[in-house]
Amino acid sequence: MRCADGGTCTSACPQMFASRAARGRVNGTTAIPWRSSRRKPTLLEQLKGSECAWCPAAPWERDGARAALCGTPAGSFLVVRDSTTSVPSLLCVSAGGDNNEAVIDYCIKSTDTVFQLSESRLCFSDLAQLVLFYSLTRDVLALRLSIPLWIYGVTEMTGDLSQLEPETWLCSPTDQQTDEMTQREPSNMMCSIQLTSTNGALCIINPLYLREHGDDWLTDRTTSAQSATPSPTNYRKERRLSTTRAWAGAGLLSKRAISMEQDSAAITETSGLSRASSADSPHWPTSAPETSAGVVLRRPSRDAASFPAPYRVSSGSLTTSTTSTPSTPGGSNRESLELPPHGSPVPLSPHRVSWVEDGVWLPPPRPSSRLHPPSLELDSLSISSIEEEQEYQIPSPAPHHQSAHRLADKVIHRLSAVGQALGGLVSQKKRLTNRVQELSERKGSAFAEAVKGFVEMTLKKVVITTGSRGQSSYRNITDLNDSEIDSLVELSLHKVALKPVSAHLYSCIHASRTNDGSFDRLQSNMCILEKNGVEELGGSAGVGVPDSLTLERIQQRWTSMHEAYSPNKKVHILLKVCKSIYHSMSANASSGTAFGADDFLPCLTWVLLRSDVVTLHLDTDYMMELLDPTQLQGEGGYYLTTLYASLYYISSFRPRLAARQLSVEAQNSLNQWHRRRTLHCNQSRRSRNRRTIRRQSCQDRGSQNSDTDTERREERSAGDGEAFGHNEQDTGPEALPPLDEEAHTPSDGNQGEEVTSKREETQSVCGEEDHR
Amino acid sequence: MALRELKVCLLGDTGVGKSSIVWRFVEDSFDPNINPTIGASFMTKTVQYQNELHKFLIWDTAGQERFRALAPMYYRGSAAAIIVYDITKEESFTTLKNWVKELRQHGPPNIVVAIAGNKCDLSDAREVLEKDAKDYADSIHAIFVETSAKNAININEVFIEISKRIPLAESAGGTSGKAFKLGRQASESRRTCC
Repeated sequence: MRCADGGTCTSACPQMFASRAARGRVNGTTAIPWRSSRRKPTLLEQLKGSECAWCPAAPWERDGARAALCGTPAGSFLVVRDSTTSVPSLLCVSAGGDNNEAVIDYCIKSTDTVFQLSESRLCFSDLAQLVLFYSLTRDVLALRLSIPLWIYGVTEMTGDLSQLEPETWLCSPTDQQTDEMTQREPSNMMCSIQLTSTNGALCIINPLYLREHGDDWLTDRTTSAQSATPSPTNYRKERRLSTTRAWAGAGLLSKRAISMEQDSAAITETSGLSRASSADSPHWPTSAPETSAGVVLRRPSRDAASFPAPYRVSSGSLTTSTTSTPSTPGGSNRESLELPPHGSPVPLSPHRVSWVEDGVWLPPPRPSSRLHPPSLELDSLSISSIEEEQEYQIPSPAPHHQSAHRLADKVIHRLSAVGQALGGLVSQKKRLTNRVQELSERKGSAFAEAVKGFVEMTLKKVVITTGSRGQSSYRNITDLNDSEIDSLVELSLHKVALKPVSAHLYSCIHASRTNDGSFDRLQSNMCILEKNGVEELGGSAGVGVPDSLTLERIQQRWTSMHEAYSPNKKVHILLKVCKSIYHSMSANASSGTAFGADDFLPCLTWVLLRSDVVTLHLDTDYMMELLDPTQLQGEGGYYLTTLYASLYYISSFRPRLAARQLSVEAQNSLNQWHRRRTLHCNQSRRSRNRRTIRRQSCQDRGSQNSDTDTERREERSAGDGEAFGHNEQDTGPEALPPLDEEAHTPSDGNQGEEVTSKREETQSVCGEEDHR
Repeated sequence: MALRELKVCLLGDTGVGKSSIVWRFVEDSFDPNINPTIGASFMTKTVQYQNELHKFLIWDTAGQERFRALAPMYYRGSAAAIIVYDITKEESFTTLKNWVKELRQHGPPNIVVAIAGNKCDLSDAREVLEKDAKDYADSIHAIFVETSAKNAININEVFIEISKRIPLAESAGGTSGKAFKLGRQASESRRTCC
């Protein structure tokens, strides 16, 4: 069984090559290699089969394992079971020394479903996978596990494996092989991790490596750099290069495509870690590990190094088309060698860790291997465990030629890979939007009915205030809490629910505003005010106004604002206009002062007086009605308020009117608007925390101040929309007057006077208090 | 850490230095050449108070008499109002008293009121005694500080005092959704690999 010395294994050689050649032929086309009747057990299977050898049962405990490991080559390992539960609990790894210190213990945590080293976050569904993984990559271990070489020589799954003893398992390779192994280390320098995502791969180079060695090796792939070490290294190198040649194309992207293709070939039976590994030689029965050139996952060099020489030579000859094996057609199907020969019956796993090993990434072999500990490349491993993948895209193999790639190309390719990965995120958003639209169009679904009902109802009834209620009911239907998704859904809802009715809403607002006379007032006051300069409007002396060019651009923005149906989009455009106004204020200003609202409001008014105020009023109402009051605390809300205020200033401009009376009118108008909005707000959002909290906090503060302003608070109810809204909930939204908050009908006037007298009363009270 | 957005409204006569105070608070600088997001009339600054982050959304208002009627649109929903007067202008202190009255009548019921006597660097030209203003502020339970936006005196203190007077948020709520985004990602990254 032991083939480490090469002698016993020769008999397996012809067999092996025959099978590989056969596989190669079919792989050249589309056939699946592992359907071959000459199925070989994978390394993982063999590990599983021999589990009793490296994870012995009861009599073995920690001390015994340590004793057995003493003096074994570095990386030799045994797993010890807990004496009471007989659950694998300890991984003992030989560090290569002779004393007892040379064995390092790692605790294995296990649950019903997974095994993991307690220091690591990587979990494995069975012990063999864990062992295989740590034989390929170090992760948290001090050194990689070493799997005995003879296991590669096992050609059939036999019962023998299950009868192995730990002592047999720990058989050591010869000195000569160890030497070779050390020689080979440099060629195994690994510098990147390939993280795969749904759409592509993200390659990460260990920054330490770059700092240490620069990035010359990325472009410098001259074969002259190959070490003088005989076959193994040269062979590996050659293999890689020839693989690169097999696909003409450029850059990392195509490299990725290759690895993806290989993975996809394996996907039918394997996935996850095992899939990545399956692309590598350890899974190949009795085959040289080097055949995995260009493959994602790198095999442990140790195993390769100690492989019997005949294997190396013959597999090398395969790639150089000078095979000595008659059954292998010359130069046939290099790709086939890259394809994983066998699917291993490993459970599907959503995660994958894979290493990029390729000519592109391979640093030139270095003379001194000691500079590079074998596991240097594994430092950033844990990143990969985060990455998950569920779906696979199978990119068509990109043609590739062996031109020297410049670093810039690689950066671009890497960027595009990142871009693709990000693209996956973006498309999720799009999917959500489409989903909402889809839902709204699906016949018979509650959501679609709600949307349809809302649209029909809105078109029939002239009640634009139901808009907010409709929106809130959708929010309930979709039942999403995350604010981001929430806003996204809202945007989608604007499309499905608001777009069809927006024109109708405009006409409703227009009719309402025409009826209450505010458009007339607006236009007549425009004539009075439009001759005023910005200083006459209240601006300070130095403030600048937009020049004609800017003014023209602002007009275009107003137009596009009117065309947008989404209130959020409208606010966005409004902010752009405000920004350009601000820019003009400071750019044309004679003095360098900071302009606050004292100057911005006059300046905005100046701009409005040169714009289509009727349409702007329409848009302002539209935004004010449809946006949630809680959305109006930020910048958008501020400038929308300022626009509203400025329009209000124009429409209510009466040169000789006392400021106080105007204030009352403004107060009434605003209170009506706020009451109506808060009503819906309370109906639709009563369950929402933020509002509840605010109300509670208000009450708290109310009790603090109650001694000073009890009497006044009675008067204040009009200003306190939230409290008010509660009281009037039974009236329902339809009962509210649509959009007449600024109506200046006689009755309103009387109401205003009433309020004025009330105010004067309270002010006298205040005055008394003030003089106390 | 919980993030709370606090709308703060700035009231006061034109020219008393409302925007300079905000500017100083937000930019820690009196240099007018630093451009805020859009303009100085709306600015934000987030400060830490105890175990909360307070994001001040500062709404400036136009102080001209002709625009007084528009003020309710601005102070509606405010958690706090800073009423600014100029210690060198008696008239601006009278205006301040009117603002206080209006807020008491029409402002949010529990609005925190802060009175800032700005331009305290110009004490030679003082017209409003600090004691008078302090007594008035005490009588209405308002925060009172004399500030100088020019010399950065007491600017941060105004906002710290406001933070102190804002009632503490309940444990569960009072935060915007933004505060929780990271948690969601973290839970995903903890998934295992096999």
